[in-house]
Order: sequence, then structure tokens, then C-alpha cells
Amino acid sequence: MSWESGFTVDSDVAQLRRGDLDALSALVTRYQNRLYRYLLRVVRQPAEAEDLFQTTWIRVAERIGQYDPNRSFEAWLFTLARNLAIDHLRRIRPESLDEPFGDSESGGETGASRLRSSEPGAYERVASQERSSRIGESLDALPVVQREVLTLRFEEEMKLEEIAEVLNVPLSTVKTRLRRALDRLRVTMEVRFPGETWQ
Amino acid sequence: MSEHDKIRELLALAAAGALDEQEEQLVARHLRECAACSAEQETWSMIGSALRRLPTPQPRANVVERARAAAQIRLAEKFEQRWNTTVIACLVAFAWVLTVMSWPVFKLVTGGVAGLFDQQFHHGWFLFVGFTATVWVAGGAAAALLSLYSRRERRLA
Repeated sequence: MSWESGFTVDSDVAQLRRGDLDALSALVTRYQNRLYRYLLRVVRQPAEAEDLFQTTWIRVAERIGQYDPNRSFEAWLFTLARNLAIDHLRRIRPESLDEPFGDSESGGETGASRLRSSEPGAYERVASQERSSRIGESLDALPVVQREVLTLRFEEEMKLEEIAEVLNVPLSTVKTRLRRALDRLRVTMEVRFPGETWQ
Repeated sequence: MSEHDKIRELLALAAAGALDEQEEQLVARHLRECAACSAEQETWSMIGSALRRLPTPQPRANVVERARAAAQIRLAEKFEQRWNTTVIACLVAFAWVLTVMSWPVFKLVTGGVAGLFDQQFHHGWFLFVGFTATVWVAGGAAAALLSLYSRRERRLA
């Protein structure tokens, strides 16, 4: 995040703490894609991710008084989202917190195939999108703790310290989870798509 | 575990940019000498790049608008609630100040100037306490009823 955008976030958060509705609206706009992407990676069902998206912003409105301005707003926001998503999974599909779903549970449709890309579908990008789709499918097959650490690091580009804050675990655990998640992702890709070069 | 094996374990983390400075130097030194690990590192880099290039799903516009509206309503309610609590706390403090200050006035009216300095217990105490208690109970009941009414109005809205 650039200095300028960081300053804007801080300013919006400060105004939100004073009850400014426009600042809340600006933050929703700024984080809408990233927050939704994270929630979708965790729960994998678009309808559930949409509900959690709304609940997260309501929770932000309710708890903004408890936010410590010395900490990262982004980490705080993703922590709220994560807690809601994990509670949701624990309530709806407790087994999903331990093991990945089989293909049969999503009717053969994978999370990756459900994702709608923000990029236009240009012909020259088809091959790259195919590979993205395959890696997305492999990512989707990982357990939730591994999916979320990968999405926070590679898609959200969070620092390890921020990931530790979101997941509420020590830094060493973040590293361990990252390594295991990457190892498992690679094995999954090699099993599902043998011979793929991933370039 | 040999250094080669240790480095192998670090390669995935290297692709995630999760090594500390010392580990980075160790890996870089090893990669200059080991072709097998260099090839392995290349694969991890490709996986890392592919993960970074995953398409970004976007929420539907109506979902974002609904979330925005719901959060704004909740925020407005929260701050209205906070404002009401502050106003009520100030009113209660003001009422207590008035109550305490009215005691000398009450003594002056019932017992004259001399009554102000009279420390003896008499029936005026009962009148004053009874009056104060009635006012506070009536005020409290009115506040509770108003709060219930306002909550019901909000639910219906």
C-alpha cells in the first residue's frame, strides 16, 4: 500500500471513528473486492461470502469504537471477517475446518470455476487464465487454514506480521502453515494436472 | 539433515517472500552452487507467480450497496445511541445537582432562616425524601416507557 493510500485509509478510519457515514462508504468501496475475495476463498460459496461480506461491514460499524488506531486497519478488518467466516463454517459445515471438500460436495463445480474475473477475457490471455483456473481449483481443494494463509500472503499481499495478527497465531506458525500449504498445493496440482508447467 | 535438505525446505518459503535475511543469504549461496535446487526454486517461483495472478472475484454491485446501506444504518444507530446515553447522563447529573441544591431551599421555605441551621431530624425530611423519590421514580418510569416505545418504532421501521 502506498504512503498516499495509507494516509487516505487512516483519514477515513479516523472519520469513521467519529461516525462519518461517507468515510464508511469510502472504506467499503476501497476494500470490497479484497474482502469479498478473501471470504470467498474461505467459505467457497458465493452466496455465503456475500452474506458474510455484509455482516462484516455491519460488525465494523458496531465495533469501530474498539479499533486501536495504532494497529493496521486492514488486519483488523480481515480479523473481523475471518472470525465471522470461521464461526459460520463451524456452525454450517464443521467438517470443512479440518478437511477439504470432495468434488461431489460442490456438485462438480469448483470455487475457481465460480469466480468471475475482473479482467476482460482477451484471447491472448486464455492460456494464462486456464492455468489460473487450475491453480485456483487446486487451491480450492486445500483445507481452510491452508487456503486462507495462501490467499492472505499471495493475493492480499499481507506482511507475515499482519497475517499472524489476522489468524491470531505466532509468526512461526504462519511460516509453518505457509510452507505446508505450498507443499500441499504443489502435490495437489501434480496429482490433478500432471505435466503442467505453471509458467 | 544436510544443508541441501534444509535449503529444500526453505525454497517454498522463499517463493512466498517469507525468509529472514540470514535464510535468504543461505539460500542464495546454495542456489549458486546447486543446479537441482535452482530448478526447484524456479518451480516454486512459478507457483508463487500463478497464485499472485489468480483472478479477483468481484461482489455483485447490489450486494455491495446492500452491505453499505446496512452498515451505515448500524453506524448511525450506534452514534445516536451514544449521543442519547450522553444526553441522559448529563440530564441525570443535572437533576441530582438540582435535587441537592433544592434541600436548603426546602428548609428555608418550611423552617425559615433559622431552619437552615437546624441540624435536628424532623418531619420535613420525610416530605423531602418522599418528594424526591416520587420525582425520580416517575422520571425513571417515563424514560423506560419512552425507550420501549422508541425501540418498537425502530423495529417496525
